[in-house]
Amino acid sequence: MNHGIPYQAAYEAYLRAEKRQNPREIEKDSLLRAFHPDYRADARTRLKVGPNRGDECPVELAPLLQSAAIVSNRDFATAEVITTDVLVIGGGGAGCAAALSAAEHGASVILATKLKLGDSNTVMAEGGIQAAVGMDDSPRQHFQDSLKVGHYRSDRGLLAQLVSDGPAVIQWLIDLGVQFDVENDAAGKKTFRRKRGGGATVPRILSFRDFTGLEMMRVLREAVYLEPKITTWNRCPAVELLTDDDGECVGAIVYDLNAEKFVAVQATTVILATGGSGRLHLNGFPTSNHYGATADGMVLSYRVGARLREIDSFQYHPTGLAYPAYLAGMLVSEVVRSLGAKLLNGLGERFTDELLPRDLIAAAILRECAEGRGVEIEGQIGVFLDTPRLAAAKPGIFETDLISLAHATKRCAIDVRTTPLIVHPTLHYQNGGVAIDGSGRTDVAGLLCVGEVSGGVHGRNRMPGNSLLELFSFGRRAGVYASRVAGQRKVRRAGIGHIDRWHKELASAGLPLDLKGPALFPSYGNVRIAGTETLADSVQVGIALANLEI
Amino acid sequence: MPELVHLTVGGKALVVPPAITIVQAIHTAGEDLSDNVGCMGQGVCGSCRCMVVRRDSGSVTFELACETLVEDGMQVNFVDYLEPALRRQYPVDTTDDEQRRVRLDQIFPEAKHCRHCGGCDDICPRDIEVEQLVNLAVEGKFSEASRLFDYCVMCNLCTLTCPENIAPNHVGLYARRAVAATQSSSTDLRLRLGELAISASDFDPFESDHNDGSSAGSA
Repeated sequence: MNHGIPYQAAYEAYLRAEKRQNPREIEKDSLLRAFHPDYRADARTRLKVGPNRGDECPVELAPLLQSAAIVSNRDFATAEVITTDVLVIGGGGAGCAAALSAAEHGASVILATKLKLGDSNTVMAEGGIQAAVGMDDSPRQHFQDSLKVGHYRSDRGLLAQLVSDGPAVIQWLIDLGVQFDVENDAAGKKTFRRKRGGGATVPRILSFRDFTGLEMMRVLREAVYLEPKITTWNRCPAVELLTDDDGECVGAIVYDLNAEKFVAVQATTVILATGGSGRLHLNGFPTSNHYGATADGMVLSYRVGARLREIDSFQYHPTGLAYPAYLAGMLVSEVVRSLGAKLLNGLGERFTDELLPRDLIAAAILRECAEGRGVEIEGQIGVFLDTPRLAAAKPGIFETDLISLAHATKRCAIDVRTTPLIVHPTLHYQNGGVAIDGSGRTDVAGLLCVGEVSGGVHGRNRMPGNSLLELFSFGRRAGVYASRVAGQRKVRRAGIGHIDRWHKELASAGLPLDLKGPALFPSYGNVRIAGTETLADSVQVGIALANLEI
Repeated sequence: MPELVHLTVGGKALVVPPAITIVQAIHTAGEDLSDNVGCMGQGVCGSCRCMVVRRDSGSVTFELACETLVEDGMQVNFVDYLEPALRRQYPVDTTDDEQRRVRLDQIFPEAKHCRHCGGCDDICPRDIEVEQLVNLAVEGKFSEASRLFDYCVMCNLCTLTCPENIAPNHVGLYARRAVAATQSSSTDLRLRLGELAISASDFDPFESDHNDGSSAGSA
């Protein structure tokens, strides 16, 4: 365990740090290699089976991707069968956008979600959404910024589509009833308020205060509930996909947690919008993610033969709360730095430009902590986020712009206007995922993936605000595509024949058949599916709880 | 070793360390949790709303379990998330407050029956002036109603408690969605959409980059 500078000494150094020097220059590649968690030697392993055999993957994710099925032939044989045009799995932003678009174009939709509609990382998004609406900006510039931040590893076609969709996505959201902050420009014309995200050449992030995701999600949720062509099933996680004799996807099996039974849904198209995997707590990191972020969609897709990409690349958001311990990992929005707050180590020194891409800032913070310049308080280590000097420079900012932050910290009796926060990187986003095309189609016919579960748009580091845009750009396109094929694609006999083949592959690779997935809930959720055991116990328990020193 | 805290959650006695939230207490005690949980501390999803009775307190408070710390002698009960029987679709396309008001009365005819009991105000875990919001909307003051509603997490507790079946949070969301239509006039967005309508894409994503410093290509 690293040690840092004890809080009292660090705080005195902080108080003396009135005059801010510029941080020293860093060599980006060596900083990432030395300190970014993706590069830790013991953090990765090679997959032994499936389309990505031989590829590197985090050690916490590999057992899930190579897990055995939860359902048996008997579970499937006795399950009730229900038919629909489109089955959307996941009730966050991408799932709702897909469902609404499919319904709008005439398809019947079942939206099945593990918790309840809207429970997702979307609702927790604070910063905002990137879209090139400014006249000093263009989709081309948005493209170039994103490509660079993603280390030139994005799928260029997908990224070009994303940025070009931006303005239309904003209009679509407004038409649904989503509000964004507006202000008057120099000429007195009404215009969107824009903030600059790390790595952006111009301010491009549109937001609603500092709870943009909540504003979007409550509107989307209502729109879905009110849409008669969409049936919402809460508490119904998908546990397996259905395939026909050619291995094409023709539906899914969900587990109804209320009724404690399996239900088979036949569909012409399945759209997975299951989100990411922060609750796997890679490298023992705390996470900013929602309770449901357990990589389920990736696990299900991989098992039926969908190729993944950049699965060894994750985003650690630079500023998760490090203190108090019970809030460890909770996000402190980038907006705080965008508005001018600086990062200071335990010596009161700035050590990085605060608006670099997230992977670099996270690595810089981890470097400060690893080299003993962090701030240590009650066993937690981090660096200062200088909110008091931001409050002094911009009076009232915590009452108008940074409401979520003020609310969160008020609960733990920290007044951010007078006390600097202590922050540490938190596992935030899965940069890669299931490989898709512009409509969200995967390698497996009938199976689409949208949102965080998909990969390709972000390369090896996602730009702030591009995730919310991705949800609606790709969610809408997938919904339209699914409605178009609804009348055309004939669903043949649905089964789970792929499971037998998968289990044989696992066995010949010497992999265990008693580890079952997807995980569905974090290990500390202690959830059991009737009659089966999920993999949860073998997945590392989150540091947030380990830190409680029970 | 810090002194342990004793509390009950859903009638079950738990013994846990101090300085953790109710949700963390359930995890720590080894109880299963697959419902009434969501954003884990941010307080935005509204899923973990619960009734709390503290030791020596005769009253019930409504709080979010992900942001409330355990206390010795605390009794906690989660509240089922019931959907209101509300299936009235409505358009959000007008900027005229009078039209919005007429529409509100068609969608939520109960809203004008508010009996000012204050139950919604008392139950709101976000301290929103719910009753005021409903009455502003009924009067057609949608911008003001919308602003009051900024912090709502749609936990539905006000809907659960309203004796007139008003569904106040859904009224509030109606007000917000109605007001959103007004911002369509942002000139920047209209200009950009106009440009894109003429030329869908203004660049070639596959052209070479002057700054392609990365060693590896696309996966």
